[in-house]
Amino acid sequence: MEFFEIDIPFMLLLLVLPLIGTAFCSLVKRDANQGAIMFSGFTLAVALVYVCAMWTTDFTESFSTGWIETKYILINFDLYVDGMSMLMIVLTALLVFLVSIFSSSEKHNPRMFFAMLMAMEVGLMGVYMAHDYFLFYIFWEIVLVPMYFLISGWGGPRRHYAAIKFLIYTHVASLVMLIGIFVMVFEAAGASDQLNFTFSAVAAAAGGFDQLFQTAAFGLLFFGFAVKMPLVPFHTWLPDAHVEAPTAGSVLLAGVMLKMGSYGIIRICLEVLPQGAVAWQPFMIVVAIVAIIYGAYACIAQKDLKKMVAFSSISHMGMVMLAIATLSGMGIGFAIFQMFAHGLITAVLFMVCGICGHNAGTREIPLLGGLAGKMPIFAAFMMFGFLASLGLPGLVGFVAEFGIIMSFFEYLLSIDMIWPIIFALAALLLTAGYYLWAMQRSIFGKETDRIDLSDVHDVNKAEGFSLGVLCALIALFGIMPSIVMKLIEVVPLVISGVIV
Amino acid sequence: MEFIQFTWLIPLIPLLAFVIVGLFGGKFKNGLGSVAILSAIAAFVLSAIVSYEYFTGDLFAAGLAYIPEPIEWIAFGTYTLNFGIYVDSLTCVMMLFSSFISMLIFVYSIGYMGGEGKRKRRYYAEIALFLAGMLGLIVSSNYLEMFIFWEIMGVCSYLLIGFWSFKHPDGDEASVKAASAAKKAFLVTRLGDVCFMTGLFVLLWAFGSLDFTAMFDDPVGSLVNGNGTTIMIGTLLLFGGVIGKSAQFPLQDWLPDAMAGPTTVSALIHAATMVKAGVYLVARSYPLFVQNAEMMLIVAVIGGVTAFIAASMALNNMNLKRVLAYSTISQLGYMIMALGAGGYMIATEMAHGAADIDGAVGYTAGVFHMMNHAFFKALLFMCAGSVIHAVGTEDMRRMGGLGKKMKITSWTMLIGCLSIAGFPFFSGFWSKDMIMEAVMEPAVAGAASVFLFLFVLALITAFMTAFYMFRLWFMTFAGKPKDEKLHCHGESPVSMTLPLVILSVFAALSGFLMFFWLNDIITFNVIGGAFVVGGHGHEGMDILHEILYNQWTYVSLALSLFGILLAYLMYAKKAIDPARLNAGGNTRIYRALTARYYFPQLYDEIALRLGYDVAKGVDYADRNLIDGTVNGISNAMMGSSGMLRKLHSGHVQDYVAYMAVGVLAVFFVFYILIMTGGF
Repeated sequence: MEFFEIDIPFMLLLLVLPLIGTAFCSLVKRDANQGAIMFSGFTLAVALVYVCAMWTTDFTESFSTGWIETKYILINFDLYVDGMSMLMIVLTALLVFLVSIFSSSEKHNPRMFFAMLMAMEVGLMGVYMAHDYFLFYIFWEIVLVPMYFLISGWGGPRRHYAAIKFLIYTHVASLVMLIGIFVMVFEAAGASDQLNFTFSAVAAAAGGFDQLFQTAAFGLLFFGFAVKMPLVPFHTWLPDAHVEAPTAGSVLLAGVMLKMGSYGIIRICLEVLPQGAVAWQPFMIVVAIVAIIYGAYACIAQKDLKKMVAFSSISHMGMVMLAIATLSGMGIGFAIFQMFAHGLITAVLFMVCGICGHNAGTREIPLLGGLAGKMPIFAAFMMFGFLASLGLPGLVGFVAEFGIIMSFFEYLLSIDMIWPIIFALAALLLTAGYYLWAMQRSIFGKETDRIDLSDVHDVNKAEGFSLGVLCALIALFGIMPSIVMKLIEVVPLVISGVIV
Repeated sequence: MEFIQFTWLIPLIPLLAFVIVGLFGGKFKNGLGSVAILSAIAAFVLSAIVSYEYFTGDLFAAGLAYIPEPIEWIAFGTYTLNFGIYVDSLTCVMMLFSSFISMLIFVYSIGYMGGEGKRKRRYYAEIALFLAGMLGLIVSSNYLEMFIFWEIMGVCSYLLIGFWSFKHPDGDEASVKAASAAKKAFLVTRLGDVCFMTGLFVLLWAFGSLDFTAMFDDPVGSLVNGNGTTIMIGTLLLFGGVIGKSAQFPLQDWLPDAMAGPTTVSALIHAATMVKAGVYLVARSYPLFVQNAEMMLIVAVIGGVTAFIAASMALNNMNLKRVLAYSTISQLGYMIMALGAGGYMIATEMAHGAADIDGAVGYTAGVFHMMNHAFFKALLFMCAGSVIHAVGTEDMRRMGGLGKKMKITSWTMLIGCLSIAGFPFFSGFWSKDMIMEAVMEPAVAGAASVFLFLFVLALITAFMTAFYMFRLWFMTFAGKPKDEKLHCHGESPVSMTLPLVILSVFAALSGFLMFFWLNDIITFNVIGGAFVVGGHGHEGMDILHEILYNQWTYVSLALSLFGILLAYLMYAKKAIDPARLNAGGNTRIYRALTARYYFPQLYDEIALRLGYDVAKGVDYADRNLIDGTVNGISNAMMGSSGMLRKLHSGHVQDYVAYMAVGVLAVFFVFYILIMTGGF
């Protein structure tokens, strides 16, 4: 991109800066936290400049360079950025920066901890920019490793079980996805000897994929992405991983990692296999509704505050799935909006859970009560996050929710079957129900005597800063959603005949 | 200079006050309450100037609304949602009384919340946001904008009802109750809000826009275009929102619990904001509602039933604030019933093809009563607050004889009681009789026998209202002190009594405005097939004539006076023992009234069955069925659980080794695939 008359490869910077950060954090003797804040800050600054540029000039940008080329295979180091990637990039950069600040007082092996955070940023940035299937898969797997170590190294009492479960479960799903990628690449190669892994080559050949093939390939890829999102019934790794993960891990896991699944569905499944999407549409609608309702009900029953928030992510990612499943431009636009909105909101929720566990000593809702008296700022942030998550108008979650249900409503009108709208509406009530009930039992009411609150302290400066920034953004984009919408319009979903 | 173009500042000023108080209030001793109060004063003054300009301008004379070009909020698909301003007569009336009463309540708070210390910041910030929500709702130019402010108010009520939810002046139990009441208020109104939102989807789809201008311009035409059923469904869903927000049957039960908040908050919710928003929504959506007579019939019946059952629940309640809460529900029922009856007349006449319909009494009566009710209900709540402030209890059984110690409070409250009871020439008298007339109109015209039934309900309600209000007054202020231990601090400070005196003037006299000013402002007409709000009203003297020469006026008056007399005999003179009438509180109906017709149990039961029980089932299935399968598969793959346990050695090196093996395996598979595929 041209900037101040100098050609700056912004996309490479977004990969290289966190990579240097990883090396820096793992090599320095002390103050690894400063290094992480600095390098994630640089990355964020680059991402912000980049997003402003896109916001004003509506461009999409590609970067291409050869990497592996033999007689039989062609793998390029291709990167590509459009509005959807850009939103995810900014979200990643923002969240990594904020969790670095949030966790800056981490005492246990800080070098490795911050190195892992930075390594995860490399992987996430790569996934959201890669434009070559092989590259995409590599970044996809890179993300798993630091997350695995974050959970098993800095997690709760059952961290080893949770970490290995997370790793095996999502890894198996990745393998299925990999098979899907292979069949697609083979099919695209056709009679030619050379397997071309670039997105552009597959997309160019995609017109010739017949419906049966598209349906089969869609199924393989969709399974891989569905586990990541996660959709019910492939979700059980998520609550375990969240309950055990450290706060920074949870924030990144729910905030940006889950979006890899929905990103993959939009970027790969829909763009390349539209007829497969049509064949799978009823199935996608059903699993989305199941995830929304199931997740919401599971929340009501949870006793651990963090596990409740984890299940709420399942419910809200179900909303993303529902929006995608409408296969309309409006639906997919709001799916992206919800991915972004949920990333901001869920970060607040997991930070709040982390503070609760750390400061009050437990996250068990039945043990809590009346925390607002001793921790008013914490209570205010918690309330703000919960209200944002239940879709309060004026905050960013509402816009996504409104648009998604409107898209779903239009879809139902188009198939002349209205009653399933009840499920989406019931979810709104259930969501309000579990959040308010949790607040009633944890921060309101009589001050608890089941745990010792004598020397409990409120949110500290670093935590307050991270939460404050997120809350301000949630309000800003809730009041002016067109800022985000403008970027979503820079997503060229040009699949004729399927998505309008 | 045209001030009307700055209408957008009216909700923005309190919103700014919210931000300022919220951010910096903690640094000041009084929590920056003065900023909140100043913002309310500024909002009121600006409302007054804007209203003056509008009423004296050309737009009002032409029966048009002031609608500047809206700002685009978000655009998607084929839809554009806007943010804009809409000023017509209804807007002006609403914003005048909302901001005026809020201003007085804010001033009153100086005294009432004086002992709250550090938490004043939170209080003043939240009431400022509350006012901003209400004023924003009033000046909104489309339904989505309205919905946003509607929900902001919902959250403010949640926060304020739960204001004492973690440290209640009455102790821990009360704080637990407050937390529960706040949740109930939010969830029950949320049920209505979900209906409202669904209505928005239907209307957005039907009209392609949610702007009032686009929707109200020619809905008569859209009806002809076969959109009638869709509009009916859409408006019915909107009305679902009203049922939640304005506490109508069957979602009325959150409002009595909402008394757990400070009394000033109750005054704010009941008089100036929140519950009035629902009635305002019906009045604002009149052009859509009157498309269908059945729709208006539903509205009227819901209103009538609500008015009746809420009034009956107030008959035997012993809690000062609860009685007032029931009376609010009942009076809101009156307003909704009046709007329904008036709309029914318009709908039937339109169905007969009338292009010109000269005013609807129901509309005028409903909005007029909303305004009067705002004055006397704010007065009543603030008087009750003054009493509670002085004696520290809400239980009327412990009060009595307070009239001598609290002269101003008792006299101003008497004015409020006379007004709500419909005593001649007090404000409540005029609007209540207009409501009676509005309900009688379709009944006499033979349009529906249902209205005759509603009229009877309304008459009985009038009697009950007079009875329970004076029961309240006599139990509190008359006679001798009943509880020796109860200490009365005497009259409240000036910041509290001054608003009482000002409001009592309005509660007594605001009814007369109808005869020379409001008669031309609160009207809804159909002129040449188009809907016109404001202007073209009846002559004020005609209205006076109609009320005074209507025999039903005297029937309802007699019933009210009888109610007052009965209350006097039972609670002041003690000539009739209440215990004899209800067999010491043991009759089935007495118990049903005390238990609020078992509505709280019904709500709890529904929440338990459809919420918690299902949730437990889902949780069980999740742990055992789904996760059990996952673990089962992994155990089977690993050969035995013993081996799995070995894998969980806890040594990081081991995991790294497994990882490395895994990654190698992936690359191996990859390699094979390429080779076989390549050849």
